[in-house]
Amino acid sequence: MDNLLQVRDAHTFIGQFHILQGVTVNVPQGAITALLGRNGAGKTTTLKTILGLTPPRQGQVIFDGQEIQGRHTFDISALGIGFVPDYRAIFRDLTVAENLQIAERKQGDLARRQELIFGLFPDLKRLIKLRGTQLSGGQQQMLAIARALVAENKLLLIDEPTEGLAPVLIEQMMKAILQLSAETTVLLVEQNFAVATQLAKYYVIVEEGRTVKSGAMPDLLKDEATIHRYLGAA
Amino acid sequence: MKILRDHAILGAVAVFLIAFPFLIALLDGQSIGAMLAGQSGNSKFYQGLLIEIFILAIFAISYDLLFGITGLLSFGHAMFFSVGAYTAGIALKSLKLPLPETLVLVVFAGVAQALLFSIVLPRVKGITFALVTLGFASVFHIVIMSHELNDWAGGDVGLQNIPKPALLDPANQRLTFYFVALALMLLVYLFYRRFVDSPTGRVCSAIRENEHRAQMLGFNTFYFKLAALIVSGITAALGGALHALYQPIVSPTSASLGYTVNALLIILIGGVGTLSGALVGAAAFRLLQFYLDKLFGESSSFILGVVYVALVLFLPYGIIGTWRAKKLEWRAAWQARWRAWSAARPRGK
Repeated sequence: MDNLLQVRDAHTFIGQFHILQGVTVNVPQGAITALLGRNGAGKTTTLKTILGLTPPRQGQVIFDGQEIQGRHTFDISALGIGFVPDYRAIFRDLTVAENLQIAERKQGDLARRQELIFGLFPDLKRLIKLRGTQLSGGQQQMLAIARALVAENKLLLIDEPTEGLAPVLIEQMMKAILQLSAETTVLLVEQNFAVATQLAKYYVIVEEGRTVKSGAMPDLLKDEATIHRYLGAA
Repeated sequence: MKILRDHAILGAVAVFLIAFPFLIALLDGQSIGAMLAGQSGNSKFYQGLLIEIFILAIFAISYDLLFGITGLLSFGHAMFFSVGAYTAGIALKSLKLPLPETLVLVVFAGVAQALLFSIVLPRVKGITFALVTLGFASVFHIVIMSHELNDWAGGDVGLQNIPKPALLDPANQRLTFYFVALALMLLVYLFYRRFVDSPTGRVCSAIRENEHRAQMLGFNTFYFKLAALIVSGITAALGGALHALYQPIVSPTSASLGYTVNALLIILIGGVGTLSGALVGAAAFRLLQFYLDKLFGESSSFILGVVYVALVLFLPYGIIGTWRAKKLEWRAAWQARWRAWSAARPRGK
């Protein structure tokens, strides 16, 4: 399968700290790839490196056949990469409608995509006039993902979508991510191993800023030693 | 019709302000004819006070767009105002330009200084941007006070004897000046409302909340900040030009940090990021200054300080911001009561 995104031996520094020390990630087109690892392993930094928020000092990031490392975040995003950060990065002073409108790259994007968005997150339709500050954590997470769907992105980077959500909302979120993966390729960072295994077709494990293993998810599920060693899950 | 529906309160305020000089003349026992002829009296005096408020409001709303909406903290905003005032003064006095050409020059000056500030936009943020803008304003302050420019800018005394166009002479045509200043303030407000509600304005609000998030959506935030700077620069410069036309002297202090702090105080009093707060804040600021000065003389500065502290303590979001927050609370409380009442009501068959 063709890779939509390739991160090759990325080395990223935050200040003086060498956070990524050789991360390699291949994201096949049209599937969900889970980026796994313990807290502080470098998963979020990998996503930020792809998006140019913390550009790599060494290594390559290739998206859709072109090298994108060193470009501005807004240029990279405009190529068709949507990002849903773990801190539910909605604009809290804007209404739900405004949060969605602002993500339009071309006029009419929202009108074209609203069936998909409100199909995945019907609650948002009811909350359309509320401000970000008036939404619950789960609703904010839905809005953050919905916003990334307004423009037709080729790749979605989703960071910890189920973090801090109630079990019933986790179910809803998983259903939504599975549904949207039919539309777009997804690179998912997920601490909840059970959720990641149910959603992703491929995996990449990072440990202390390095890629230590990658492959197809069913193979990982058979490899208990790897799961125990790098993910601490039984 | 839509404008009237959306801005009903503004419309009511505009009608009141249009009628205000006539109402004061009637209350003062002055005939409308005498008032229209520009004769002295309370009406003419209050027109002057309100003109000062309108000019301050134009200056403050331009700061609100920059700081309250886009999140660019500038300590050099007074320079925008002062450049407008000096450009208008010099164009009218030394270059002997007619008013329309002068205003075109003022607009260009507003754009030019916005472009100057934008040089540092990609490199510095937050407090560093504020300090760099303060540096620009301080340099301008020193330049206009220099002896070499005495003939043009008037040195540390300021620019005096600016010839006023006959139609806008504040001594003889104060009522006309009053209506022009009022119209400009209302137009600026409506334009700003439109700007803030536009897609560009929404991105400016997004930049204030979190610039990285806006970039993640594919926006080159530099251009949006530049747009806010240019709109704000032109507006403040036009406010400055109005100041030069109204006041007998354009003082170099109009480029000082104190003038920027006045704009900041005004939007803090009115409500940061609300736009209408700049109008309300300018009125509160100038009227407090005027009446406290009248009542307490030299001690008024001390009392004014106490009043500002009290305002910030008891109205943390400013007058308009607190009013909006309370209105939301009251609406939620009424909705809860209504739901409770509806649930408790016995249902008929």
